[in-house]
Amino acid sequence: MSRSDVLVDADWVEAHLGDPGVVLAEVDEDTSAYDKGHIANAVKIDWKKDLQDPVRRDFVDKHGFEELLSARGIANDDLVILYGGNNNWFAAYAYWYFRLYGHDKVKLLDGGRKKWELDSRDLVTEVPQRPRTNYQAKDQDTSLRAFRDEVVAAIGQRNLVDVRSPDEFSGKLLAPAHLPQEQAQRAGHIPTAKNVPWSKAANDDGTFKSDEDLTKLYKDDAGLDFSKDTIAYCRIGERSAHTWFVLHELLGQPHVKNYDGSWTEYGSLVGVPIELGEGR
Amino acid sequence: MTGAQDGCGAPAGGVAVTENSSGEAIIEGHVIKEGAPVAVGYARLLNDGGEFVAEVPLGEDGGFRFFAAPGTWTVRVLAPGGARVDETVSADKGHTTTLQVSVSAAA
Repeated sequence: MSRSDVLVDADWVEAHLGDPGVVLAEVDEDTSAYDKGHIANAVKIDWKKDLQDPVRRDFVDKHGFEELLSARGIANDDLVILYGGNNNWFAAYAYWYFRLYGHDKVKLLDGGRKKWELDSRDLVTEVPQRPRTNYQAKDQDTSLRAFRDEVVAAIGQRNLVDVRSPDEFSGKLLAPAHLPQEQAQRAGHIPTAKNVPWSKAANDDGTFKSDEDLTKLYKDDAGLDFSKDTIAYCRIGERSAHTWFVLHELLGQPHVKNYDGSWTEYGSLVGVPIELGEGR
Repeated sequence: MTGAQDGCGAPAGGVAVTENSSGEAIIEGHVIKEGAPVAVGYARLLNDGGEFVAEVPLGEDGGFRFFAAPGTWTVRVLAPGGARVDETVSADKGHTTTLQVSVSAAA
């Protein structure tokens, strides 16, 4: 796997945004960002309305994913280019989702919306009209998704990567610092987890760091054992999807799972071990 | 507003303050350029070790807000044209620290 298999740059997007068979999709936590302006021909995916089950805590099911992509005019053989704000945070989450349901022709725009904006490239408000498709999803590929019992069993056995900020990892904060801190779950991290904040994988402008820098970050600095399987988690599974992308797609680690239950689930479980402080 | 349990996302300008925010250590402010709000740009919060903690896109009014913890923090503003401004601030529980960040016209 090389970078060009999973990433495109802004120049590529400007040259190909009108190509048949290429669909741009913006995924932002702030859905009003798309409405204020987006890359020409990009459709919008709302991570919450479109990707989450409205009642129970889970993803939309296979049928729901098929309905979403069909409605957006995305066909099974289309190349989907995802981008979004904040280092592609939510775009990486959607990327993981596309792969989970078996759509392999998917790439991220390196740097996402942030680099695009900081470069002062064009944004438009016109919403593209794409004819409806009849998208067929595959069953969820659970080799990419970890569940809680598997995470508890992985303590001390596999690599656990906690990708939250150091203050969330140590227990000082319960949520990212742009969110209120009053939360129901206990603070801390899963014992034996290494703390590599997701954002360390990105440069200030949101592009991914080089493979050399990333390998140094996870292997040399954090001490991940690359001969073992890895589970990444954060608070709710979005930031860790970004780290999953780095480890699985950029660095080519074969067995990496995203634990989307993450700290909001783990920190609410009765009887599981929790570690406080800076980790070891 | 993005509910705390609903996601980790940061809406432009930051999450709104509510009646439940009284115990929070809030850092908020606006970014201006030649007296006008900077609506396209990003505010990043770094801890006292210079590590990234959070980021919000600026609001229409150039605004941003973080819910931090007591201590010293750096707010880093990025705006088109390569603008990058760092401001060091301190935060306290139950207190709102307000700052105005100016991006130079040359940037």
